[in-house]
Amino acid sequence: MAHLGWVAFLVTWLAGGVGLAGPLLLAALGEIFAERAGVVNVGIEGTILLGALASFLVAYATGDAWIGLLAAAVAGLLASLPLVWMYVWAQANQVVVGITFNLLAVGLSSYLYRALLGGGALDATIPMLGDVPLPGLASLPLVGPLLFRHPAPFYLTALLALLAGHVLFRTRLGLDLRAVGENPRAAAAAGIDVRRMRALGVLVGGAASGLAGAYLMLCQIGVFRDNIVSGHGFIALAIVILGRWNPYAAAVAALAFGAADALPISLQMLDLGVAPQLLLAMPYVLAALAMSGLFGRVAQPAALMARHDEA
Amino acid sequence: MRWRFERRAAPADAALAVAGANATAIALALLLGGLLFLPFDVAPLAAYADLAGAAFLTPRGLGYTLVAAGPLVMVGLGTVVAWRSGFAYLGFQGCLLMGAVAAAALALAAGPDWPPAAFLPLAVAASFAAGAGWAALVGFARARFGGSEVLVSLMLNYVAALVVQYLVTGPMRDPGDLPQSPLLPHATWLPPLASGSGANAGVFVALLAALAVWWLLRRSVLGFELEVAGLGARAARFAGIDVPRRIIAAAGIAGGLGGLAGALEVLGNQHRLLDGVGEGIGFVGIVTALLGKLTVVGAVVAAVLYGGLGVGGNVMQRRAGLPASVVTVVEALIVLLVLASDVLLRYRVFRPRRQG
Repeated sequence: MAHLGWVAFLVTWLAGGVGLAGPLLLAALGEIFAERAGVVNVGIEGTILLGALASFLVAYATGDAWIGLLAAAVAGLLASLPLVWMYVWAQANQVVVGITFNLLAVGLSSYLYRALLGGGALDATIPMLGDVPLPGLASLPLVGPLLFRHPAPFYLTALLALLAGHVLFRTRLGLDLRAVGENPRAAAAAGIDVRRMRALGVLVGGAASGLAGAYLMLCQIGVFRDNIVSGHGFIALAIVILGRWNPYAAAVAALAFGAADALPISLQMLDLGVAPQLLLAMPYVLAALAMSGLFGRVAQPAALMARHDEA
Repeated sequence: MRWRFERRAAPADAALAVAGANATAIALALLLGGLLFLPFDVAPLAAYADLAGAAFLTPRGLGYTLVAAGPLVMVGLGTVVAWRSGFAYLGFQGCLLMGAVAAAALALAAGPDWPPAAFLPLAVAASFAAGAGWAALVGFARARFGGSEVLVSLMLNYVAALVVQYLVTGPMRDPGDLPQSPLLPHATWLPPLASGSGANAGVFVALLAALAVWWLLRRSVLGFELEVAGLGARAARFAGIDVPRRIIAAAGIAGGLGGLAGALEVLGNQHRLLDGVGEGIGFVGIVTALLGKLTVVGAVVAAVLYGGLGVGGNVMQRRAGLPASVVTVVEALIVLLVLASDVLLRYRVFRPRRQG
């Protein structure tokens, strides 16, 4: 019996980990585009929150989760417009803009939730996106529950990872984008519009973060609170670095964080008597360690965070 | 004779031009924030007047404003030290929590047995040390291994929040329903400045800290070396400055100031350790320092203003049902628009003289 308990634990843990990796990867994929173009967008934490709120409000109003998902992408794009302007045109310090934007997003989403739903609707519920087992594949032993019993946005994210890798490394657009992030002046001399590329990177990142917020909301959380995003955006930033600015490697890194994220939930089954906060801290400790430089420094895009007119 | 608009060869840097651009930005931020008042049937201009009146014009309100400003001043000062040393530290929320834990633990252990004159300096030292150690970890990672202080410090904020949550649901929990520590002994509370005023001795702690940081940055050798390291690590190295050590020093001092914010919050405001104590102060404090252009005086003034905004916002929430989150929006908008207003300085509007 004890043996069975461990197997059940492993399967729930890993399947949960794969599921939780989804929104993290989605946000990280977008951020890869921004950073490859030379912009570190710390504001994705706030963009995810706004995306989550948009999906919640729209799904609540229309009763359709898919429209909520779409609304979150639009919200992410709209929220990124001022960011684009600050990062690319005003060329303000990117970390400063990012954290201040996050503060704005916290205030704004809390305000909008109360303004639109009123104080009484604290526990408004929304339709959610349930698991869609892929026919045939889902009944495979072991891999089935791990990879093929997830909600639709999960498969969408997997496809987007492939698409992102293709665009970045196999198309002219991707080459131009990376050139801007490595050496803006050379890129400009080669006829690439540096501002447009950086703007594109941030906007792709914004849409992806908005979608990531909707993914969190519609597949995992289902209720709105001010603190639901709780560092997912920052962890996505860590995933980008661990994944060496490469969508495929980022997918692996996201799985590691998903697994760390899922551990507390599944460990409850084993009843080990460990304080839950200790386990909840794991993903953050992991990310802090990964970013601490203990495990080697990585070659980032050369013009990351550099002003494009001075680089 | 038409107005013309053109790009300047170099951004305007006259004090009047900068002040004008900033004033425009602040006015625009207040205007945009005012739009958020409308759905709650609150007239923006009157509401701003009410808000300012509640925060600054009554003795009680001013007291609360000073209490709210204390921790913000501390975090702002920490930001000034860290960022001017080239250490983009964002972990003040974590330092605040560590300082809060240290102050609360000491207060609960020492209890009413100690005279306040002995307790307060010790609590200040303990919370400074707790915050300093927390931030020095990140400084060490950056100085020794080249880690990213931005991301590491952001992550550790969440770890610190979970540490507090663990303490108030476990070892330090007050028997009862709420996850919080017992109320601290009355003798350990920061004494009020005058009876009837909300303000307490934390004001002096904050002022002393501001003086100390001003002295550090403007008068001491260490401060000079920190600034040189911040302006250019390579140049500093050629000048014989041990940059990694200075980064750790900057992290320690900044984190210690963040820890003091926690002490002020616990001993001067909440009087117990609880889940979510000092929430938001870590980031709003950073933002006030940025608004103060990373100067000591600027950071203090901005912290008092933002402390007042917070107090006024709470009053408006009670009186008019306006969500206090409006204040957060305004606080962030002001900083974003002030940053953006630099763009105004790159252009000029003028009337060309008539050619003869």
